[in-house]
Parts: sequence; structure tokens; C-alpha cells
Amino acid sequence: MGVVLRYLIKKSKFLKLLCQNALERNKQEPSQDGPNTLTNLSQSLKTNLDLIKGVIGNNYDVVIREFTFDRQRQVNAALIYLSGMTDPTIINESILKPLMFESRLSINSAPKLDDVEMIRTTMLSVGEVNKSVNIDEILDSCLSGSTILLVNNCHEALMIMTADWKSRSVDEPKTESVVRGPREGFIESLLTNTTLLRRKIKNSDLTIESMKIGQRTKTSVSIAYIKGLANPLLIEEIKRRLNDIKTDSILESGYIEQFVEDAPFSIFSTVANTEKPDSAAAKILEGRVAILIDGTPFVLTVPMLLIESFQCSEDYYSRPYFVSFIRMIRYLAYAISIFAPATYVALTTFHQELIPTPLLFSMAAAQEGVPFPALVEAMGMGVVFEILREAGVRLPRPVGQAVSIVGALVIGQSAVTAGLIGAPMVIVVALTAVASFVVPAQTDSGGILRILFVILAGFSGGFGIMIGFIGLLIHLTSLRSFGTPYLSPLAPLSVSDLKDSFIRAPLWAMIARPRTIGWHDPKRQEFRLKPSPPLEEDTQSK
Amino acid sequence: MKGLIKIIVTPLIIIILTLGTTGCWNRRELPALGIVMGVGIDKAEGTDKLEITTQIIKTSELKSSTPEEGGAGSSSSGGGAYWNVKNSGESMFSTIRGFTHRTSRKLYFPHNQIIIFGQSLAKQGIQEYLDFLLRDQETRLEVLMLVAEDKSSDILSVKSHLEKIPSVGVSDLMDSQAANSQTIVIRLNQFVTRIMSPTTAPIAPIISIKGKADNKELEVSGTAVFKRDKLIGQMNKEETRGLLWVINEVKSGIIDIECPDQEGTVSLEIINAKSKITSEIINNKPYIKIDVKEEGNIGDQSCTASLVSPDAVAALEEKKNEAIKDEIESALSKAKKLNADVFGFGEVIHKKHPKEWEEMKDDWDKIFPDLEVEILVKAKLRRSGNLGPPAAPPEKE
Repeated sequence: MGVVLRYLIKKSKFLKLLCQNALERNKQEPSQDGPNTLTNLSQSLKTNLDLIKGVIGNNYDVVIREFTFDRQRQVNAALIYLSGMTDPTIINESILKPLMFESRLSINSAPKLDDVEMIRTTMLSVGEVNKSVNIDEILDSCLSGSTILLVNNCHEALMIMTADWKSRSVDEPKTESVVRGPREGFIESLLTNTTLLRRKIKNSDLTIESMKIGQRTKTSVSIAYIKGLANPLLIEEIKRRLNDIKTDSILESGYIEQFVEDAPFSIFSTVANTEKPDSAAAKILEGRVAILIDGTPFVLTVPMLLIESFQCSEDYYSRPYFVSFIRMIRYLAYAISIFAPATYVALTTFHQELIPTPLLFSMAAAQEGVPFPALVEAMGMGVVFEILREAGVRLPRPVGQAVSIVGALVIGQSAVTAGLIGAPMVIVVALTAVASFVVPAQTDSGGILRILFVILAGFSGGFGIMIGFIGLLIHLTSLRSFGTPYLSPLAPLSVSDLKDSFIRAPLWAMIARPRTIGWHDPKRQEFRLKPSPPLEEDTQSK
Repeated sequence: MKGLIKIIVTPLIIIILTLGTTGCWNRRELPALGIVMGVGIDKAEGTDKLEITTQIIKTSELKSSTPEEGGAGSSSSGGGAYWNVKNSGESMFSTIRGFTHRTSRKLYFPHNQIIIFGQSLAKQGIQEYLDFLLRDQETRLEVLMLVAEDKSSDILSVKSHLEKIPSVGVSDLMDSQAANSQTIVIRLNQFVTRIMSPTTAPIAPIISIKGKADNKELEVSGTAVFKRDKLIGQMNKEETRGLLWVINEVKSGIIDIECPDQEGTVSLEIINAKSKITSEIINNKPYIKIDVKEEGNIGDQSCTASLVSPDAVAALEEKKNEAIKDEIESALSKAKKLNADVFGFGEVIHKKHPKEWEEMKDDWDKIFPDLEVEILVKAKLRRSGNLGPPAAPPEKE
């Protein structure tokens, strides 16, 4: 204990020093960088080009196309763009062609084309064209796929939106596959993803705000919500947390998740993710906010509740009866995946009197001659399973199959016949493994809890499991996701929200949005939507 | 630093302290257990000592003897998947602990199915041996109690033809007794409840060995009647059912009666039976009334007359009433002869007439043999099985 404490104190002192150094460096930085950055463009095209070339000119994908237009005055101009990120058709047909050819055709009323505003309004047949004098802004937009038009004697540049690059087509997501329901999934392109959302919710209140995060990657991050439905304080809080991210790179939604989550030390994730536009849309329609990140098909939604892990988009597309049963199976499977090995260990090492006598016979017979204690067996098998799973996930599919055959048949079967482990333990671990896949959103938390509970059970039996479970409940009730209690609607209890928890009530019965999330505009639909055949009087009157 | 203490040290202290406050717990792996399935308690021959036989399962034999069942395969290893160990000593606890000198595994009692007392020990009194079984946290109160016709160790060594473990065979044998209701099935807690009562006599089934050598079989042959904690007599099967009628323990069974107006017997199956004991004090004398209500079906008949007509049914019901009454009366007379209140009449009077009971309770042994008991039986015949009249040629008239 003392050693650990001393080490931690030392470590915290070291970290404090590190922070101080960083602060001092930050203070000095502005004065160093000040003279190096030229913020604005000058009048001369040559100076401007030199400036830009100095920053990005030595990249092989940067194209700088110098040309002249306006036959009478021979204005010099230059286009700067990145090949591969831009659509050459637009550049050729909508920028170069009007400037170089069509300006010549209109001899009579030749406009004065040295003003970029005139070019923007009269010559360019491209949708999005912006003006800027700030060189940083210009470079950023160029790196995002815009084409920059610099004209001599103009201190302003045009940023013409020509971004277009190769991306994966919209196809079925690998995770969250459904039998019934839309098969499209988000892709890596942010614009496509927001489009997919808009196609689900054709409503002017659907707001998609954008920002750039990451000092080096400048990743586009959008937040999508429905104005008037999402809690404004929540939106503000999300924006604040996103703006506070001062990191150099955002490569996946996981980066954002880890920077904004409420409980970074918890094994439970407080930010949900989905790959399906329909479930993202459903969550937005409940009053949640989606965070879309360029470059990943995984869209984050906040706030997240624990029960969301047990819900699936297909639950709402199928009729409610079987779905409710399956919901309960999911809860059961999660409980099995956490508690089964621990319970087995507790029963065989502490509470043999709780095992029914005939079962005890077969368990005792199987355990006879097994060299390890049940705790070691359970831990060993758990680790072996995790190894097999990891190998199966990382390897290419054909090799992965070989691994699973080796794992399941060779290791499982022969370990039992060799008498290294008892057959019941293999059954328990296998059951646990299968059960842990039922709730994909909680696979990581389940994996950690399982090991934790096995250790607790191994040292103090059912009592240990009980203590662990109480601790787990205390932890879960203390969690918040963007202000929303993680365990709601169970704690705090909201009886009407239980319609969509352990069971899924018919859609026509779910009139209100979840109270802890959609309280800003609780009414989802009208009352009395239960379908029924027309009454006799109605048919007669017709 | 404060945060650190809060996050790490406080939970650690809580966990360590709570783990220390647990009561009795013991970490034992399955292979370290000697699982006891049956216990026999006898008087050691020639001495005053106690001799305890425990039946421990051989877990390693359990699996292997499954395919080559039949006795021959398992006899090589000394008789199946169990091992009977004997130890003798002065007291229950020291004798049971003493088994550690003989067995490689510590005995484990929660799965114990039966406790058998030897005849000679039962005659001497068994109260002192029950204390350990009640006090120890490993033994269960639901364990079946039996009395051996002779020595309990002999009973434990009779192989069951259907079960691998003799004790399991005995416990299953007791389970199946409900179909006849001619055996009392009593568990330790019920037995002790009777022992603790000032008047009610404890009872237990008697198990005996039939046949010789390889054809040994176990049979439940009657009911042992105790006075206080000493065995004083036996009841046969009919008397036992008479007893069961009174204490509301009849579940099922067959009543054989003669055919009305014809030669042959009819077997009536008991489907449902209920009884109620009430007491009254008339002229300072206690008076007991037993109400028995029974429903049953015709299960078998050897005569050819149709017994489904209302008249025949009424006649049968009357005969059944008599038969049940006879059984109860035989039990009653046996109990009176032994002067053992196996029915718990004393308790009934105690509950209903507490004031009068105060005067009676010391003289109960004198009152009971002359106690007046009225037996009212209402037997009903409900169905006749898959047949109405029997499958016989019509009677010539």
C-alpha cells in the first residue's frame, strides 16, 4: 500500500511539472509565431502565389494553373487546387471555360473583370463560391477540396467549392445488421451522412451545425438535432465540450467520444454510436443530438442511457410481442455473460449445498482429477476465449475460421479429454461467450465485469458477487450522460417510459417521448391511435 | 491527493472491512469434498459406544460406471460408486470429526439424504444424537429419518438395483411411498417437532432387508412408534394408513373392498383425502372427533356386476366408509395399546381448550388410553376409469 501511494504522489508531482512547462511554452508561442504568419493576401498575384507555394507548393497533388483572361486587358490569374480532391469537370467546364472562352465571346459588353466580385456574380457557374482575404482560411478550404481563384490586382481570393473525391458507396453496415429494416448505413463521407439523415427527417427544424476540430486534421464535425425538440441547454453543452477539444487530430468518432464523455474512468460508455441512419434519426427524433464526424461511418448520439444498449432498430419495425420477449432475452443474456462464470465458481467452491444433488454428482464427477481450482479454470478459459475472439476479429476471414476451429475443437475438446479442465466449465464459458455477443454495445463492459466477478466469486463466493453487484449498481446510478441519469427510466423510475425498456409496447401506445430526454416537447403522437375495424354505425352510415 | 484517497483508498478499506465481517465461510473445491449421502447411527456391538456409518460417493466412479452398469463392472472396485465408512466414538460430533482419520476428504453433509437409526439405539433413546444434526450448519433439517429393523449399517450396504448410490435409492423409495400411503415419510424437522411436543409421539418408517446374499432388497415394513425419544412399538401397513388418514397425510392409495352382492373384490383408488381433528370437553372429559373426507375412483374390479349404477355406487361408498373407519380404528387401538399419542390429539386439545388442558396435561398418559374418539368418514366415488360396466358377458337373468 505505502509503496503504491508513494509512487502515485511522485507521479502526480511529475505531471504537475509537465503541465507547468507546457503553460510556459504556450505563453511564449504567440510572440514567436507572430511575424511568421501573413494573415492577409496582397494585391500582387505573384506575391500571393509565392506565398501559397511556400506553404503547400511542394506537394505533388497541388495543381497551380496560371492563365490569363479578358482579351482586352489580359488579366493574370491562377487556380490552385488539389487534384484527387476536386472534380476536374467542374474546374474545366464551370471555371476555366467561362473565364477563358466565354469572356471572349461577349465582346461588346465586356465587364470589368478584375474585380472578383464581378467574376463571382457573372462568370462562375458553380454553386458555392466564397470570398476571403485570410490566407489561413484560403488554405484550409483548398485542403478541403475547394479551388482557389487568385486574380492579379485583387487582394481577395475566391474559394470555389469543387470538392469531390472517391468514397465508398452507401451499403449495408457490417455491424447492427437487421432482418427487417433499411439496409443503408453511414459511410466515411460527412456530406453523404448528413444527406442520409436529411432524407429520413424532411423537416426544416432539423439543424445540422458544423465545426472543425483538430488543429492538424481539421476534421469536420457536425451536430444534428431538431430545433425545439432537443434541449437547448444540451446543445449548448455539447458545443461547449466540442469547442474545448484542443487536440491535433480527430481520426474517428471514438476520439470525440473520449474527449466529451461524462465518466472517462467508467467501464460504461456514456456516448452511444450507431452506423445506421434510421436509428440515428430515431434518436434525434426522441430529442437526442447526433454528432457526425467526417471520415467515419459511426455517428455518436448523446445522451446515452444504459437501456439503449438493449434496444435495436429492428425492435420497432417488428410487431411488439416477440420483440418484447427478445428484449428480455437480451437482458438475460447480458446477465449470463457477466454472472455465469462467477456463479459457477461460487457454487463449486463455496456453496456446494445449493447445487441440486444429481447435478452435484455430475459436476463432481467432471471436476474429479482436474488439477486447477475453479477460479483458475474460469480465468484461464476466459482469457483463452478472449484470445480466440481477438484472433478471429483481426485476422482475415478465411484464417479467422481456421482459428475458431482450432480454438473450439482442439482446445476445448482436447482440454477436457486430457483432464485439464472440467467439461461443465467449458459449457459455462461457451455459454458466456455466446451470450456476450447478444448485446454488442456492452461487450467491453461485460468482458471486464465478467473477470471482476469471477475474481470476487473465487475469493468470497456468492457474498463477493453480491458486493460486486451492489457496487456495480451504485456506480451505474451515479453515472450521467450529458446530465441525463444513465439508468433512467429505471432510476429515477419513470413508469411511462418502461413501455420501451424491458418490453416494447405497441407504437400507438408510446405517446410520449422518453421523459428524461424528450421532455422539451414530450408529445410524440396523438392519443387513440390504436387501429380497429370501423364500428357498425360507421359502416351503416356510409 | 484528497481525490486520490477518495477514489482508491476508501473503496479498498470498505472492501477489506466488509470481507472481514462475513460469517462462516469456507472455500473448498469440489474434489476436496467427501459428499455424504446417507448416515447410519448404531450402537457399537459389545460396548456403549456409538457407531456411525457414512455413505460417501466416489465421484471418480460416478462417471465410469455409467456405461457398464449391472454390478459386475463396478464390483471390482469394492462395490459401486459409494463407500461406507464406519467410525465409533463417544459423541456424535467427535465421531463424525473422527472420520478425518479414515477418509482423505472432509465429510460434507448438506447433500445427505437419509439418517437411519439402528433398532437397538432407537430403543435406548435418540434425543442426544439429534442435537448435532440440528445444531450443525452443514446438516439439513429436510433429511429423511428412518429406523432400521436391525442395524442401520446393513441397510446402507444393500445395493439399489436402479440407483448407483444406496442412499439415493432409499430416498427415492420414500418418495414413491405417496402412491400407497401406507408408510409414514418423516423428515428430521417433523420428527423433532414431535419430540419437542409434551404429548405427541414421534414416528418414523421402519426399513428392513428382504432376501439373502445377492438378492437383498430393501422394504419399508411399517412405522416405528416412539415414546419421548425411545422406540416402543411398531405399526403395520394398515395401521399406518389409519394413522395417515387422521393426520391428513394420505395422498393416494388403493382400498380393496368386497363386491356388493357378488363374489370378488373392487379396488378403489384414493384421489383426494382430507381430515380434520376437533376436540370437545363434555362433562370434564375430553372427546375427539375425526372427520375424514375422501374421493376416489374405481380402479379395478374382479366381479362382473356393473358397479356404475347409483345404487351400486352408494353401496360401494358405504363399504369404503367402513374400510377407512376400520383402518383408523385399528391404528387407534394400537396407539392406545402402546399409550403413544401418534395422532397429536393432545396438541389439538391444548389449542382448543387451553384452560382445561392445564389440568389434563400431566395426566395425559392416563387419559389417552381411554380417550373417546368419534370417527366420521365421508367417502365418495367419483369416476370409474375408462370403463363403465366391466368387460364381461351380460348377466343372465
